[in-house]
Amino acid sequence: MNVIPVQNRRRFLRDATLLGGAFGVAPFLRAADPAKKYRTALIGCGWWGKNILKEAIASGSVKVVALCDVGSNIREVAAEQVTDLNGDQPKSYNDYREMLEKEKPEIVIIATPDHWHALQTIAAVKAGAHVFVEKPTGHTVNESRAMLHAARDSGRVVQVGLHRRIGPHHVSGMKFLKSGAVGDVGMVRIFAHGGGGREKPARNTDVPPGMDWDLWCGPAPKRPFNPKLHPGGWRQFLDYGNGQLGDWGVHWLDQVLLWSGEKYPRRVFSTAGRPVAGPAVNSATEQTTDAPDHQVAVYDFDGFTCVWEHRRFAENNAEKHGVGAYFYGTKGTLHIGWRDGWTFHPSDRNAPVVHEDSQLQEPDGHNLKLLWADFMASITEGKKAVAGIEIAHRSSVLPLLGMISWRTGRSLQWDGDREQIVGDPEASKLLSRPYRDGWVYPEV
Amino acid sequence: MAVALFCVIACMHVLRGLAGVGLVAWIGATAVVADDWAQWRGPQRNGISAEKGWKDTWPAEGPKVAWKAQVGMGYSSFVVAQGRVFTMGHAAEKDSVFCLDAATGKELWRHSFPAELGDRYFDGGTTGTPTVAGDRLYVLNRWGDAFCLGASDGKVVWHRQVEKESGAKIPEWGFSGAPVVSEDRVWLNVGEAGLALDAKTGAVVWKTSTKSTGYSTPYFLGTGKDALMIVGSAEAYVAVRPGDGSEAWRVRWLTEYGVNAADPIIDGDRMFISSGYGKGGALFKLSGAEPEMLWRTKALRTQMNAAVLYQGHLYGVDGNTTDKASLKCVEFATGKEKWSQAGFGTGGVTLVDGRLVGLGGTGELVVAPATPEGFKPTARAQVIGGKTWTAPVFSGGQIYCRNSRGDVVVLDVR
Repeated sequence: MNVIPVQNRRRFLRDATLLGGAFGVAPFLRAADPAKKYRTALIGCGWWGKNILKEAIASGSVKVVALCDVGSNIREVAAEQVTDLNGDQPKSYNDYREMLEKEKPEIVIIATPDHWHALQTIAAVKAGAHVFVEKPTGHTVNESRAMLHAARDSGRVVQVGLHRRIGPHHVSGMKFLKSGAVGDVGMVRIFAHGGGGREKPARNTDVPPGMDWDLWCGPAPKRPFNPKLHPGGWRQFLDYGNGQLGDWGVHWLDQVLLWSGEKYPRRVFSTAGRPVAGPAVNSATEQTTDAPDHQVAVYDFDGFTCVWEHRRFAENNAEKHGVGAYFYGTKGTLHIGWRDGWTFHPSDRNAPVVHEDSQLQEPDGHNLKLLWADFMASITEGKKAVAGIEIAHRSSVLPLLGMISWRTGRSLQWDGDREQIVGDPEASKLLSRPYRDGWVYPEV
Repeated sequence: MAVALFCVIACMHVLRGLAGVGLVAWIGATAVVADDWAQWRGPQRNGISAEKGWKDTWPAEGPKVAWKAQVGMGYSSFVVAQGRVFTMGHAAEKDSVFCLDAATGKELWRHSFPAELGDRYFDGGTTGTPTVAGDRLYVLNRWGDAFCLGASDGKVVWHRQVEKESGAKIPEWGFSGAPVVSEDRVWLNVGEAGLALDAKTGAVVWKTSTKSTGYSTPYFLGTGKDALMIVGSAEAYVAVRPGDGSEAWRVRWLTEYGVNAADPIIDGDRMFISSGYGKGGALFKLSGAEPEMLWRTKALRTQMNAAVLYQGHLYGVDGNTTDKASLKCVEFATGKEKWSQAGFGTGGVTLVDGRLVGLGGTGELVVAPATPEGFKPTARAQVIGGKTWTAPVFSGGQIYCRNSRGDVVVLDVR
């Protein structure tokens, strides 16, 4: 048989790489100029955007030409940090449209709040750029579809920040699952729990100096400025994010698609509320968040059931893990988690527990370096992006459907091929939403 | 102007170089006991104690533990005066101010009031440090509750909600600067460039723009009509005149999340400022109309605790809580790094009689001569666990350490 055993195959690959290195050329890699630095812009220069940009800079494959953010202080701080890292002196922009027109970047990183992803991604690919955009793709389903179509039309690479697709312990956990070691899996429970209690409103304040709050809100409703919203808090405001399901849920739903090979569930039902956090407040003087403090969403797939749960109270100390996915199989339960790696708890109490540690980049516990390298390989070698828009769109639709079910209070039947909710015009309306005056909802 | 009559306790050492004015004693307080540490960063607001006659070595099992206590969640430091030690912590939806006997740790009184834990992005709890002045204790918590308490009995002399009264926006991690107190004023880092209250009543005397607030403790410089108060603001280090809050100058100093927490370090007409989040530090010359930058460095990025300056060298923690922060020595005149001790963590250092007393980020206490030649500890011991972001306090031959959970351990090194 002409099969190299795994061990030998690894050695072969390693030797081949060394050989390539010795001659300075790895022939299959070098369609593009290895010294090329891609003209790169970042839209959204907060904590996460800079995490991505730092990986881009560390890869040595970019020249940072522009930083775009609606906060002038945020831009100034980011520019100084870029200069410290690689000496680049990026130009500063408040409005991404002006930036795209003037800088003509080859790569655009988008790390704005969810309500901005669609317009900015579509504009960037139309302007000819490859895009690395944060998850979930859209804030509503039809935004995500429009992003997908724009990406296809442009022929550009769009990578979505679902770094768990490539994180080492996720990859090995998936391999363990697919090896049959867990047996036949009939149910998956995915979750992200934390502590919390009743939420006190915070006073609305003046917009921070140098910040274009109107543009921050952009196509979404314009709330009064509140420190709960920015920086970082917008995920729990449904005008701009989709709560825990849109933030954490998309990662784990994506893992479920990765494991199952399914493209979509047949039915979705969700219930949620704020019994602990208390009623949402949005007055002229103060605000609370308005995302649910707990949620259950059931995804009915062909062949298994997937249940999402989150709580922002109580933690989850009765179980071993606070975040992740339990794959329930006939041979036991596989937990794939975050910093806690993956652990297989066999049904047979005498069988050994199997565990693998996580391998994350700290302090923030991600695998952006690998995801960025994959993005660059997609651009330079034409390989398929591991978290490309085609698959990331399907994963991103799932939390958005969960939120529609919760809002309408009923189960949704989902025609995933046509991407339509069956027989429910009211729920179907929520696949899109009205944009604020001056902004046009992207066409699918 | 009232301010012309006196100076804050802080200003002694700065005056020699800047204005050539003699030392100004604290007025209005009972005589300061030599070894008291009555305010944030110690007798001269520079993290330095002159105490002598203590042991900088100890047996293998570590220094003698004088006493232990539990004060609740937080990072508040200690102040020590007249045999009493004060600190703060949070438990059960209340902030508490503690007065303990410095010799035994016995609780003498406690003042508790409703407050949030505020654990967004960190463990939460109290971050500010009280200030003791004679028979009064002044307190500001993260949410703007300011108190004047009787130092001996904890009775409330006055209470003001300064967030509401001044309209200042609470910064992301809450107000955290310690109050600075004179005979008739209390200055707080609340508002863009501070807030002044009447020390007798807590009434607002003047305020500055409400748009943002930083995290340092107001630092006083000079006397009389030349006196200035420097605050680490959200976007700058700003100097105002303490009498009326009018601005003298500012050094634009932007950092991620508007965190300027470390107090400025002054030597003659030179000012060193430094922030974390990759920002670094810079030295300025203050003798002109506007501060003039002399050098900048990325070698010393003090996220919370300011460094200490000793014989022309800065000693401080470089890096963020999320990094593996290092203890470093940097030359004051040039900004050049002299040595770096990796793995120290986000703790703090106090300088006592020429020796560094450092508490690493996870509770290891070290003593080492303060010298640019290198870091060569004469003693080290794991004295506490957990997160120890609070610099150790040295007073009366005792070292006061705490962690974020509020475990307090006091070591006797006499």
